[in-house]
Amino acid sequence: MTQASSFTRRMALLAGTAAVTLAGTAAATAQETLRFGMAMPLSGGQATYGQDQVKAAEWAVAEINKAGGVNGKKLEMIVLDTRADPQAGIQAANRLVSVEKVPAFVSAWSAVVKAIAPVTNDSKVVQLSVGANSADIAKLGDYTYTTFPLADIDITAVAKYAATQMGKKKAAIIYINNETGTVAAQIYRDVFGKAGGQVVAYEAYDPKASDWTGPLLKIRASQPDVIHIQGLVADTPQVIAQMRQLGLNQPVSSYSAVYNPKLIEQLGKAAEGVIATSLAPGVTDSPAVAAYVERWKKEAGREPNGLPYTQYLYDAPYIVAAVYKSLDDKKIAPTGENFRKEMLAIKSFDLPLTGKLTINDDHTVNKPVFLMEVKDGKWVQKAVVN
Amino acid sequence: MLTFDTIAQVLWTSFATSSYLVLFAVAFALVLKVNQIFNFAQAAVMTVAFYAAHAVVSMAKLPGIAGFVAALGSAALAAACLEIFGFRSLRRRRASQMFVFIFTLIVSELVAYMAMLIFGTWPTTIFPSLFWPVSLVGTIAVSAWDLPAIGGMAGSLALLFLFLRYSQSGRFMVAVADNPDLAELYGIEKNRIYLIAMVIAGLLIGVGMFLYGSRAQVQATTSIELMLFAIAATIIGGIGNVWGAAITAVVLGVVQNGSVLFIPSEWQGFLLYVFLFLAIVFFPKGVKLPERRRGLARKVASVDLDPTVPGAGGKAAAAGEG
Repeated sequence: MTQASSFTRRMALLAGTAAVTLAGTAAATAQETLRFGMAMPLSGGQATYGQDQVKAAEWAVAEINKAGGVNGKKLEMIVLDTRADPQAGIQAANRLVSVEKVPAFVSAWSAVVKAIAPVTNDSKVVQLSVGANSADIAKLGDYTYTTFPLADIDITAVAKYAATQMGKKKAAIIYINNETGTVAAQIYRDVFGKAGGQVVAYEAYDPKASDWTGPLLKIRASQPDVIHIQGLVADTPQVIAQMRQLGLNQPVSSYSAVYNPKLIEQLGKAAEGVIATSLAPGVTDSPAVAAYVERWKKEAGREPNGLPYTQYLYDAPYIVAAVYKSLDDKKIAPTGENFRKEMLAIKSFDLPLTGKLTINDDHTVNKPVFLMEVKDGKWVQKAVVN
Repeated sequence: MLTFDTIAQVLWTSFATSSYLVLFAVAFALVLKVNQIFNFAQAAVMTVAFYAAHAVVSMAKLPGIAGFVAALGSAALAAACLEIFGFRSLRRRRASQMFVFIFTLIVSELVAYMAMLIFGTWPTTIFPSLFWPVSLVGTIAVSAWDLPAIGGMAGSLALLFLFLRYSQSGRFMVAVADNPDLAELYGIEKNRIYLIAMVIAGLLIGVGMFLYGSRAQVQATTSIELMLFAIAATIIGGIGNVWGAAITAVVLGVVQNGSVLFIPSEWQGFLLYVFLFLAIVFFPKGVKLPERRRGLARKVASVDLDPTVPGAGGKAAAAGEG
């Protein structure tokens, strides 16, 4: 009885110890997460885009984790607000680098990405720019890479298409006088000129402007065949409305920020013929995109603001997961330096919503450009420029 | 480039679009003159007015007139609340002018963030469409928005003029603006006059914001950006000179828009700061016409100098425009 009792006690002790050990191991596994950062505008004027983009990335992280994570480890995304403001962006980057100690993080908005770049270069942490399109982003040092085609890709496509396929000889450009407008306007001017066209008017406007009569009258006097607008989502519809009111009925081209259903609602018939770019496949090109848009309609009751941008943001965690997996397979420590080396070694990624991505050595990526046009009150695909 | 058509079109459109800027500038100048507050919280009242009209017309699908009434009512109410719960309380506690100014800054930001939380950050309008039909008058494009906007501005200013000139409260406002303590000695209830000034400013802002929001997209932070123009017009027009601010707003709008015909368009925004800088350095009391040409100005300004105002006459006349 005593022996039996002693045996039972020992067994109980062993079982208890084993249980504690197992529980401890399980807890350790559960706690082991692979972290990355996300610095996006969650407040301020650009939050409409930023919030939807973060939501898309959150969905992707949930999908990755639901499918078993990265070699059984959970992917964790730390989200910080930049307000699309460079100073707030630097603060967010400093926190991600120094406090959260992530090896990589996602950011967007050209001015923010540029401001953050010195922080990432100094700390050797990878900044993945997803959505910012200033051509300068390719020149920000070894630790800033884009997964989004830069301005020269879609602006080049739309300028070349206007000159060669649409047969337009004289173009006018009106652009917002900030980082988004100036670089892209220069690219359009250069490409349209090289393609045999002539830029007959080149007008900037103040970011705080609420009336564009002056620059538009200058454009009207120059009698262009096509007008390219490089503005923001808030001002571009108003510029187009005023343009039409002043009798400028020429075809209007713009870029991806304009590609949203709101433009048609706000301009009605004045939106007819407006051409925008999209840098990701649409619902008719990919069943995955169709399912993704359906999910938005079901869960948010609407399409996402800036659909193509959200597609890129949805794909970003898949890039991070692929790099983490490769590092984990090779038992390499996930530092910022190693993350960068491994990402460049992998080079090509097959992504669910935007297709194949290849990171070029010059910090750029190549993607086809989808030209969309408003026809009969709907956005329809006009052409695909490779 | 510089054809008659072009110049006429710039002048017309600039004049039409200056309608709401004039109302913002007059509202700001009025509160500065009577209440002696650099009221940056005007941006908050503007935000409230816009989103009230937006909620009524765009969201509740009620007619535009209901939106107009909502803009006016909400702006007047917001301005009254600001006076009763904010400025009156600060006056009671003898807060310094700097402290009051900081309070107005905080209110404007607070309301902008609240609007952002309630209505989101997507730019919105009062009416679903931004496009107004256009008629050609000769070769000048006149949109269906232009005439009602100019009419709204002119009507509002006329009512303000009549109120200041012929109503007892209007005269009391001038007296309080000139010397609040003396006015109180003569039995004028200071707090009531401050409240009336704020409500009138709110009504002007309501009209202005309805005009602005029916033509342009508005975000929660738009009003703060629009404030700079009102402040510039008030400073250049002469602090305390309500009509000077109105005229300056028109002139600034036209010059800023017209300047693009002579200078590169990217300099357009810079021009406002140049004017502001020059005005502060060289004309700290505002730009004034030479004495002998000020016949018209004197007639208008006589509203401010009315000797029949109880307790304010002689002193007001001696103080000039103040």
